[in-house]
Formats: sequence, C-alpha cells, structure tokens
Amino acid sequence: MSQTLINANPTVYNLSKNSHRLETVDAFDDSVDDPIDAQEVFDLIRSISDPEHPLTLEQLNVTQHEHIVVDDVRNRVLVEFTPTIPHCSMATLIGLCIRVRLLRSLPERFKVDIRVRKGTHQSEVAVNKQLNDKERVAAALENSHLLEVVNQCLATASLRGREAVPSH
Amino acid sequence: MPRLELVATLEGHQDRVWQASWHPSKTILATCSGDKTVRLWAPASHSNFTHWQCIDTLDGAHKRTIRSVAWSPTGNELATASFDATTGIWESDGQGRDWECVATLEGHENEIKSVAWSGSGSLLATCSRDKSVWIWEVEADNDFECLSVLQEHSQDVKMVAWHPQQEILASASYDDTIKIWKEDEDDWYCADTLEGHTSTVWALDFDATGDHIVSASDDQTLRIWKMYKPNNSEGVATPNGEAVWKTICTLSGYHERCIYSVSWSKVNGFIASASGDNAIRVFAKDESSQDPNAPTYTSIADVQDAHGVHDINGVAWFPTSAHGDWLASVGDDGLVRIWRLVLDD
Repeated sequence: MSQTLINANPTVYNLSKNSHRLETVDAFDDSVDDPIDAQEVFDLIRSISDPEHPLTLEQLNVTQHEHIVVDDVRNRVLVEFTPTIPHCSMATLIGLCIRVRLLRSLPERFKVDIRVRKGTHQSEVAVNKQLNDKERVAAALENSHLLEVVNQCLATASLRGREAVPSH
Repeated sequence: MPRLELVATLEGHQDRVWQASWHPSKTILATCSGDKTVRLWAPASHSNFTHWQCIDTLDGAHKRTIRSVAWSPTGNELATASFDATTGIWESDGQGRDWECVATLEGHENEIKSVAWSGSGSLLATCSRDKSVWIWEVEADNDFECLSVLQEHSQDVKMVAWHPQQEILASASYDDTIKIWKEDEDDWYCADTLEGHTSTVWALDFDATGDHIVSASDDQTLRIWKMYKPNNSEGVATPNGEAVWKTICTLSGYHERCIYSVSWSKVNGFIASASGDNAIRVFAKDESSQDPNAPTYTSIADVQDAHGVHDINGVAWFPTSAHGDWLASVGDDGLVRIWRLVLDD
C-alpha cells in the first residue's frame, strides 16, 4: 500500500495550541457585529483530512493561518495552500476539498479564490486555473466517486483544530 | 444617463442557471440549469410584459447539468448541451407546446459546454471539455451526421458561436484562444487563432455584420476583434490568403472578476457583459471615435448586484427590433431576470 502513496513519509507538524480563538463575551452577543476573519476560515479548513494520510491539512502544514486573507467588507476570501511535495498529484483534490468546505460553510456573499502558494508546486498555474474554474468544479462535483472522496476528506472538518477522539 | 430597468424576475429553476437564449422571433426565453432542465418563459399576456410565466419545462433527457441551450433559426427546434456528454434535440408540436426530445447526439468524451445552430439552420456545432469542436449536418427526420471533429484547441472548449450570415464558426477555450473554423470542399479547418487574452475565454459573440467579434475572459477584459480580409486597404498582412482577426479595442478595468458572458445586440449594437463580480455592464461605441481600426467603447449603464451576491453566468439581448432593448440575465441564484435598457429621454 505504502508504495502507491504519492508522498509516503510526510512531515507531521504539531497542532498549534495557541491558534484557537479565545472566546470573548462579545462572541456570544448577537448584537455585536462578528465579521468573518482569517481565523474563522482557518478553523473551517484546518481539520480537513489529507486524501491519503490519516492526518489533517494543518498537521501536514498544507494550510496555515497566515496564508488566508479575508476581506469581509468586499466579500473576498483568498486561501493559499502548500502541497506537501512540489509534484503532489493530490494538489487539485486538496484544493477542491477546501473549496467545497468553504462553499458549504461560508455565507453565499463570499467570492473564494484558492491557490497553491507561489513556488510550491510544479504545475502551479494549471492547478490554480482548474480550482478557480467554477464550471469545472461544478462538473467535478457531479462525479459521484469524486464527491465521495471529497466528503471523506471533509468528514473530520468539523473538528476545527481539536484533537480527534481516537476511535477503536 | 441610460439605465437598465428590471422588468421581471423569473423563479423556478432549482439550481444555478447557466445560459439564456431568446426564441428567434417570439417573446419566448429558454434557460438551462444545473437542475437538468430547460425552462421556457413567456409574458403572461401580449400587452403586459411585467408578468412572465414558465410555459414549459423540458426535462428527463439529460442526466447531468444542461450547460447550454440554443434555438434553431426557425424556432421550431431546440438543442441542449449537457455535462452528460450528449446533445439533445427537441421538437415541439408546431404550436410551441409539448416539447419532445427527438434525438440525442453522442460522441464527445465528456462534458459538452456549448451548442449553436448556423444561421441557415443546416449545421450544428458542439464543443466539449474533451478539447474538440464537432460540426454536425442537420438532415431530414431528425438525423444528424457528424461532418468534422476539430481538435486543435489544447484545452477545454467553452463556447461555440456561428457567424450571423456565413458558415464560419468561432470557438473560445480554456487555452486562452479563440479559433475561427471554415469549410473548404467538405473539409473543416482552422483559419485563424486569435491570441491576446491571458486566461480562459468564456464567451464570444459576433456583431450584426459578422465582421467583428467581442470576447469575454477570466482575465477580466473584453476584447473586440475585427476581421481583415486579404488585400484589405489597411495593409494588414494575410499570410495564408485567409482573413485575419485583430484586437482593435480592449475593455479593461470594468469587471473585477471573471467575465462569463457577453452579448452583442444585433439591433442597436450595444454590448452587454456579465461577471462573477455580480455586475451587468452595457457598452456602446463612442460616436466620436471615427477610426474603424481603433474604436473606443464606453460603459453606458451598469447594474451592481444584478443577481444579489451571486455570479451572473449569462446575458442575452432580444434578437429583433420588436424588443431590441430587452436583456435577459441568469445567475447562480437560480433566477432569470428580464431588463429593459432605458436610454436618455
């Protein structure tokens, strides 16, 4: 099995303990404006599972808080992610998972751009173009096999950075 | 100032709407959607155009999204292009009712993105993510013969459109180019490749004369191309004895995101564009621009958030002078809107 993996021995990073939002009184007050920020977007995608490892995108350092830009007023979100290796053939699938997660979770008003970090993938231009072509994304999501794979990767997304409770 | 005035909002589709296509002569609009149906819409009465109703829903023939819908020049047939890799041909009972899928054209390897009938109605073109453009001959008894499979685009082909009078086809692609296709003794060939856009070309439309094309791209610009025939007085070189197309105007700085659709009115020459920035824009040629080789176009009207916070996927001007000021738009919100261009009093 391991011979077929694209990246058999990925570097695993520790979950950053300090990157959780501190709950404030205002967060529970509906009368206080609570704009979407990079932390919120990071929380939405950090626990998406890698397609081939039982690890999250955060653990593989694929997604990082600093590489997310949110402009709540102009309704724009830019997520840059870092494939684990420059020839990772899973890059498009990982980007698709991030897109689907944000499609399902963010308010409809947001326009989301998803890109690999500059210089981190040999097919950067091609991957970026495909991920941001909504017609091709729509067609991909009509493929039931692909949708199933995406949904598997998204099954852990709701952990939002918390450790998974080990199953037995 | 000219403005676009909302005439009607048509609700019914259950998913994003991809394209709107007007009947060639009647006040009937066809729209297609991710909900796998085509809906036909018409005003509720001949005098009141503010109330529209869905007069028919064409469904059951496609298993996936219907990306494109096109009327034959007579308006007696409709063609539908689907992500299910087939093209449907629909015929009505003659009264414009009871549409039935009478033929299914197969051959493309994957999603079909666009379908278009030639001006004479004798040819049909389709294009696909499989990078090819197919030309079909329309024969009697709902028979369609594939005349040619054109494989010169290097990527996904997004749209095909015919010259309004001649059997000249244009195709727009994810490879950032537009190609012009012509026939020479039953052989179809690429007569020109139009380069200039720096990202996917999503849409294009000819002007009424067929001498100009407007194209819309993910690079957030519109380009206007002019055809220069051999021995043209401007001295533009035509190396292969073929007409060449050159950009004579680039409209940039208007749309902030991908431009998905463009429509060039055959009635009044206005250009409408629709974008992922939620806006519809209308451009007119400046009367003061005298040089036909370097015209300028100005944005004369726009609607921000024409479909709320949603992308707008398609715009289409009414094809005849009966309602030449009507513009249909469709969006990711599943809605269809009819607008009227109101000029200065």
